[in-house]
Parts: sequence; C-alpha cells; structure tokens
Amino acid sequence: MGRVAALVRASWLTAASYRLNMLLSLVSLLVMIVPVYFVAGALQPVMAQSIEGQGGQYFGFLLIGLITFSFLTTAVTSLPAALGSGIASGTFETLLGTRARLAEIIVGMVGYAFLWTALRGLLLVGVGWLLGAPLMWNRVPAALLILGLIVLAYFPFGLFASAAVLAFKTNGSLPSAVLAISGLLGGVYYPTHVIPSWIQDVTAVVPLTYGLRALRKVVLEGGPLGASASDVAVLTGFVLVLFGSSLYVFTSAVRHAKRSGTLAQY
Amino acid sequence: MSAIAPSLDTASPVPTPAGSAAIRLAGLTKRFPVRRSWTAALRHPLQRQWTPALQAVTCTIEDGEFFGLLGPNGAGKTTLFKVLATLVLPDGGAATVGGYDVVRDGRRVRSVLAPVITDDRSLYWRLSAAENLELYARLQDLPDGVGSRRVSELLEVVGLAEAGRKMVGAFSSGMKQRLLIARALLARPRILLLDEPTRSLDPLSARRLRTFLREEISGRQGCTVLLATHNTEEALELCGRVGVLHGGKLLAVGTPAELLGEMGDRYRLWTRSPAMGRLAALEREGVIREIVAQPENEDGWACAELDVVGGLEGAARVVAALGRAGASVGRFERVPKSLADLIEGIIGRRPQGSTHG
Repeated sequence: MGRVAALVRASWLTAASYRLNMLLSLVSLLVMIVPVYFVAGALQPVMAQSIEGQGGQYFGFLLIGLITFSFLTTAVTSLPAALGSGIASGTFETLLGTRARLAEIIVGMVGYAFLWTALRGLLLVGVGWLLGAPLMWNRVPAALLILGLIVLAYFPFGLFASAAVLAFKTNGSLPSAVLAISGLLGGVYYPTHVIPSWIQDVTAVVPLTYGLRALRKVVLEGGPLGASASDVAVLTGFVLVLFGSSLYVFTSAVRHAKRSGTLAQY
Repeated sequence: MSAIAPSLDTASPVPTPAGSAAIRLAGLTKRFPVRRSWTAALRHPLQRQWTPALQAVTCTIEDGEFFGLLGPNGAGKTTLFKVLATLVLPDGGAATVGGYDVVRDGRRVRSVLAPVITDDRSLYWRLSAAENLELYARLQDLPDGVGSRRVSELLEVVGLAEAGRKMVGAFSSGMKQRLLIARALLARPRILLLDEPTRSLDPLSARRLRTFLREEISGRQGCTVLLATHNTEEALELCGRVGVLHGGKLLAVGTPAELLGEMGDRYRLWTRSPAMGRLAALEREGVIREIVAQPENEDGWACAELDVVGGLEGAARVVAALGRAGASVGRFERVPKSLADLIEGIIGRRPQGSTHG
C-alpha cells in the first residue's frame, strides 16, 4: 500500500506543479454543469415519461450519467496514457526495476487520476444538489458499490489498451471506441429503452447500461440495492469475465515486451 | 560528486545466498527480431529475421568485484544489463544474480541489484531531487524515517544537498546523472550496474564520480560493480577485471594488465634516427611487435610508435636497449589504447568464432 501511495503522491506533486491547469480543470466543471442544468430543464417535459423509474428529473438523470461517464473515461484512458508516457520516458522500465510488484505499479500509476476524478465528481454532486438534483444521501454506500463495479467493469478495457501499447505501441483506438459506444448506447444522456430498432440490442452488451440503470434507481429513486439485483449481477459478471481476461492479456503483453526488449521503446 | 563525500552508512545490506558469486552467466543468449520493410513483411509474412544481441556469454563475477564491460555501440552491454535487471528475458542459457535466477526469482534479483541503465528522462522532472528519491525509497521498501535519512545522506554524497529541493527539470545533465546514481544507491544494493555513468559529465565531475565509485561504493561498501563503458582508460583505471564484448560475444576477460599484456602496450618514442636500427633489432627479438616510424622533423628528431610486448618490463627493456645503443631519447610515453585497438587486437589474435568461456 505504501508503494501505491508513494506513486500517487508523485503524480499529485507533478499535477500540482501545473497550478493553472489544475485550477482550470475545476473551473471547467462549473462551465459544464450550468448549461447542462438549463438544457435539462428545457428538455424535462419531453424526457419526463421516458425516465420514469430512473428519478424522473432529467437534470438528476444527466448529472449521474455525466459523473459516471467521467469515472468510466478515467478507467479506460488513464492507464494507457500513463503507460505510453512511462514507456517513452523510461519511467515504467525504471519502476519495473524496483521491488514493487506489477499490480502496485499499475494501481499507483492510475491512482491519482481516480482520486482527481472522484474530487471532481464530488464537486459536481455538490453543485448538482444545490441546483436541485434529487439525490438520496442515505443510498451513498450502495451507490459507491455500483460505481465501483462500473469502474471495475471498464478498467479491463484500459488494461487491454495498455497491453496493445506495450505490444504494438498503439492503443488501437480502443479507448475511443469504448467511450463512444458506451457514451451513446450506455444510457448517459437518455435511457437505453428509447433507442430504436436493432441498436437497442447492442446496449445489452454495454456494461454501462446495467450500471447506470442500477445507480439511478438507487441514487435518484432511493430504491434498495436489492431492487437492482439483476443489473448488479450482470455488471458483476462483466467484471469477472473482463478482469480475468484483461489481466491475462496485460501480463502476457509485459512478458512479450520483456522478451522483445521493447519495454522502453515507443 | 561532492569534493569530500561522507561515508555512507553500510548497515543492513541485503543478504544474498551464502557462497554464491555475485553474477554468474552460463551460455546466456538473446536475439531480437529485425524490423522488416512493408514489402518484405507482405511477401513473407511468417518469415522472421533475427539479430543476435548476446551469444553464449559465459562469465562469473565474484562478490565485491569491480568488473568492466568494454564494447562499442551495439555490442550487447545494455542488453546484458537489462537481462540482469530482469527487464529483458533471455532466450537461452542462465543468469543468476546473488544466487537468484533472473527469470524465476525476478523480485529477489531486484532486491540485491540496482541498475543505472535508463537516461535522465526516467526521473520525474516536475519533482524535486529529494521528492524523486523519497518516491524510490518507498518503492524500495525503506521505512519512513530511514528513507528520509537515506535521501539526505545520498543527496550529500552526490553533491546535490543544496539543490535537493529544486525541480529536476532545471538540473544540468551532470546533476541528473548524479541523481540517477543516488537513486540506484537508495536500497544499499549489493550489486550495482552502471551503463556509461560518466557519459554526460564534464571531465572534473567524471573524475570525482570515478573516485567515488572506487573509494566509496567499491572500497568502503564492498559493493559489486559492473561498469559498461566505451572508455578503455576508465575501465582499465577502475576495474579489477575487464570483459570485452563485441557483437554479443564476450571476446576476452582478464585483468587490465593481462589484457594489455596480451595485446601489447603501445608507446610513443621521440629519438634521434640512429636508434631506429636498434629498434629493428628489438623487433626481431620479439620485444617489439610493430614499429610505425615517422620521418624526422626539422630538428632531427623522429617519432615512432612501438607496440611493446610484456607490459612495463618490455618497455623497460626497450629503454635500456636504447640507452646501451647511445640513442638520444627525448620522450618515451605510453599511448592510451583505444577500445578499437583493444577489440581489433583481440579479434586478430583469436581463432575465428572462438569466444571466452
């Protein structure tokens, strides 16, 4: 744990050395949330019926979708990005030369990105609540559990992309594809059941579909975790299958890079 | 290095299995795939071409030894270091570090060995020198209090105490190089791998670093040091034994005296021309292997480069013979042997295809 904390601290100190960037990152949240509030208000009459059972208020619906999507973005993009720059600079190879385990290095490399996303998410929740989003505070533990499962279901895509970075020096646009599909078909901006024709079937293989539906039921409706048991179960299935396979692929890619001597080549 | 480097606390070095050599290489082999053109890849998609990086390298480096690895670019020095640091997997043969196998016991190997093989980009440039070291102190398992003390101690030792709180991005390349070495020394490694540590240092800093390595790291701490360099003089000055690596093959291993003795020492002689006859006689007697004479200058002095056999004793015989012949000797000096000379000499004196082992 100490090694992970040390890596997270190093990332924090690096980020904190770019003060203006850090400040702008927080200010941009306000720039983003205010228009969302007004647009959601304007669309409320149109959306009200379709989001029944998921809070019924479109601003709250969007707020949960956007916060979750920011975690998902971090889960999918942070590791390949950190790994790419670590390979180019030689930092990753140097870290592998220490006593730290591969898992500790990986978690340490992305830990700060998740903490920063969590802070931004917390600020969004606070501002959203002030603007009238109907958040059920007593469901926070259940909400965190579901959010954790969503992150765990998407982190494997980050591992797959990182494996591609290690083996082929490109992430193969996997993060962009996953984010585009999940953003459009996972229920971030509208409920998945309003999507027409065969495309709606695709939503069944998008983990975010189940995660967001469960999350909104818990946070916006105040429903118990049991009411979302089927969605949580499917999400857990995604986690188990994707995590196992992605870990195997990633460790194989590290081994391939060690065999081909490309650990420090980008 | 600081002009007066304080001693490092040598307590609690990482233990290694009793009776084991520091590094043992047995037929170590590594090859890398050759990058092919698009046309070649499309024509023969399944065909692969390889370039050898290490060819059956066999060698034992004892505990506490200061071992030099001499070789030109592409000789396989860095590959060998990366194999030892568990960052590259070998294709064949075996390598143990402190008694631990580099493939099976990677973590244990990393607990006894510290490599300085990456360049200064591997430092965190937006962090201070102290913050960089604090990070690696934690990664290397040093407890909080011990880690902080060790960081201050090492910053002092490498002469960065005053710059310790400055951002590394503002450091000169020499300062970064010293920080890389401090980082490697954090966990008191039993074995230190240094890949061209003086390459970006000015001559004064390079000399201080060499003194520091010899007196502190090798002398007081008893650390086994494996030094890869292009610089023949540096290897011969610092190392108890030197290996010459070329094209992935370990061509020769020996003490500097043995290697130079085998190759012959090159001397430059300024003398009056009558001495040339005597030199030719010494060549016939086998004391001098080769004479490259140059014409006399306007003052009547001639310069000759002599390839003398038998080290200092051979040189003494040449001087004595010249004295007996009544030759006026203006100057007689040893010419530093270049890496190219050494490799050419070794290749020229060995049967085709033979390697050390």
